[in-house]
Amino acid sequence: MAPVKLANVRKSFGAVEIIQGVDVDIVDGEFLVLVGPSGCGKSTLLRMIAGLESISSGEIAIGDRVVNDLEPKFRDIAMVFQNYALYPHMTVERNMGFSLEHRGHSKSEIAERVQWAAQILDLAKLLDRYPRQLSGGQRQRVAMGRAIVRNPQVFLFDEPLSNLDAKLRVVMRAEIKSLHQRLGVTTVYVTHDQVEAMTMADRIVVMNGGKVEQIGTPLELYDRPANRFVAGFIGSPAMNFLPGTITRAGFEAGGVTLPLPGPIAERDGQDAVYGIRPEHLALDGEGLEAEVLLVEPMGSETQVTLRLAGQQMIAVFRERISARPGETIRLRPDVAAAHLFDAASGARLN
Amino acid sequence: MNGELSPRMKVVVYGLMSVLLIPFVFPTWWMVTSSIKPISDIFAFPPEIVPSRLDLSTYAKVFELQPFAQQYWNSAYIAAVVTVGTMLFSSMAGYAFARIRFPFANTLFMIVLLGLLIPSEVTIVPLFRIFLSWGMVNTHWPLILVPIFGAPSVFATFVMRQYFIALPVELEEAARVDGLGRFKIFRTIALPLARPALGAVGIFTFLHSWNLYLEPIVFLSSPEKFTLPQALTQFTDAYGGAMWNIQLAAATMTAIPVLIVFIVAQKQFIEGLAHTGLKG
Ligand SMILES: Nc1ncnc2c1ncn2[C@@H]1O[C@H](COP(=O)(O)OP(=O)(O)OP(=O)(O)O)[C@@H](O)[C@H]1O
Ligand SMILES: [Mg+2]
Repeated sequence: MAPVKLANVRKSFGAVEIIQGVDVDIVDGEFLVLVGPSGCGKSTLLRMIAGLESISSGEIAIGDRVVNDLEPKFRDIAMVFQNYALYPHMTVERNMGFSLEHRGHSKSEIAERVQWAAQILDLAKLLDRYPRQLSGGQRQRVAMGRAIVRNPQVFLFDEPLSNLDAKLRVVMRAEIKSLHQRLGVTTVYVTHDQVEAMTMADRIVVMNGGKVEQIGTPLELYDRPANRFVAGFIGSPAMNFLPGTITRAGFEAGGVTLPLPGPIAERDGQDAVYGIRPEHLALDGEGLEAEVLLVEPMGSETQVTLRLAGQQMIAVFRERISARPGETIRLRPDVAAAHLFDAASGARLN
Repeated sequence: MNGELSPRMKVVVYGLMSVLLIPFVFPTWWMVTSSIKPISDIFAFPPEIVPSRLDLSTYAKVFELQPFAQQYWNSAYIAAVVTVGTMLFSSMAGYAFARIRFPFANTLFMIVLLGLLIPSEVTIVPLFRIFLSWGMVNTHWPLILVPIFGAPSVFATFVMRQYFIALPVELEEAARVDGLGRFKIFRTIALPLARPALGAVGIFTFLHSWNLYLEPIVFLSSPEKFTLPQALTQFTDAYGGAMWNIQLAAATMTAIPVLIVFIVAQKQFIEGLAHTGLKG
């Protein structure tokens, strides 16, 4: 176990800067999730921590060692790849023990470690199989087994669940999480799935276009997104956005006036974007008029697509709604939970 | 193909394939049967498909007329050395071209490939002069060195490179994280996974060396140094006429390893080439 420190880390492929100065302090034993849209540089950053990709500038430290110029094998990390990268010509047992073989461990020691890992991951019966004889979930577990036998300082995961079906993904999610709780090893986990990020992370790093947009606990990101990108990325269904203007009377958009969160009178006349999460729109006879477009009952909640102030939005209600498409309902946004973003920069205003 | 063929289609398909087989099987059949016929029966018309009179003395004569066992050994050990050498060089060179980034790698690979475009007839005279100056004429060295460093090895390198490129890079990255250096990754991960390609390389290199004809007749002059293809031309009577039945007996024995190789390894061979995109 060790902390991992990224200081102004940059990476260029040719003239293109893919990672544009990332600073993250990963606490010892933390489960950190890197999340962001496809192509934002998550894998690249993870591979830089692993030592599979060189670092153009900046510094990466694992524990108190700067590892910039260390080969992966000297970094004491273990990595789980998206496609598992199990050695096809070796049995499960050999796959798991392979790294130990090359680090001068004795046969009995290797067997003991592999047994231990197999026990934890419920692989004991599969040790003699070859990877091609395993299901996706089993392969996934072997890949994790290969990582844990070594007892490394840091685990690195690159979208380890993306090849599994939805149901298995939920199971493996819990399994990885409980493995982390049991072993307490510092973990960096890459995903583009914000649900995975929310449910697994101690802290989330939201990345976009090679930059960090925000770092925080799942609920911090959910409750106080630092900018419009994070606001839109975290949460499902996504936050509703309403472009308009801040005035003394409130937020004016599409012919309606919404109440403003907090004292922002000095921003009178500024163009901004009003953000409100679907569950923060409540039914209220005095509220704003909204045309119902689509009603999707889920049982525990009802999701309604509607048009409010000329903008399509989604609202989620715990209660059952009898409205039909074409009807008008009245809604009131929860002012305390509303977000204001600068129209140009997207930065949070309140 | 999906589904079974109907019985009638089966008859048609198998019938057609049998007919197509004739041009391939007949020469071999003719060679083998003629090697045990008296010479007068070989050119009988219509040809005898099944020999009526047997003459097995031809096989003994093969060994009387030439140091055939020695020649057989020459061919065998040269082919073995060339095969092992080529597999070694081509797998390492192919891996380097596929995976290791070094300056001018692609340019260098192109230059290496150009070697395939030059027919051996063009290079044989300069090679002869080189080997003459090294005192290696009438030794087996040219037959070993030329294929290992020449066109067959270039082709083998190409095949290996294509195969290595197609292997998932993640496997090697996983091995790097697992603590292996470049050479160990090559030996324990990449090479074992490249077995089909390596098998194909082994087979065609062996066959190429076994069938080598131009180089032996240029470089070798004493019969006990001859290889088989060259030895086959030497079964002639005092007037230079071919002793057909004896020659065909020798040819039959020469073809045996080739047949064995093809029967045992044809699947491997086709798989290996299929991966390089060289065959459908
Ligand atoms: N070896 C490389 N050479 C050039 N560009 C590269 C290389 N590797 C990655 N890139 C580029 O870097 C960017 C980030 O890639 P990366 O794989 O890190 O994205 P990602 O966030 O992991 O995306 P995904 O969610 O799709 O896996 C992409 O635009 C990609 O094209
Ligand atoms: Mg990725």
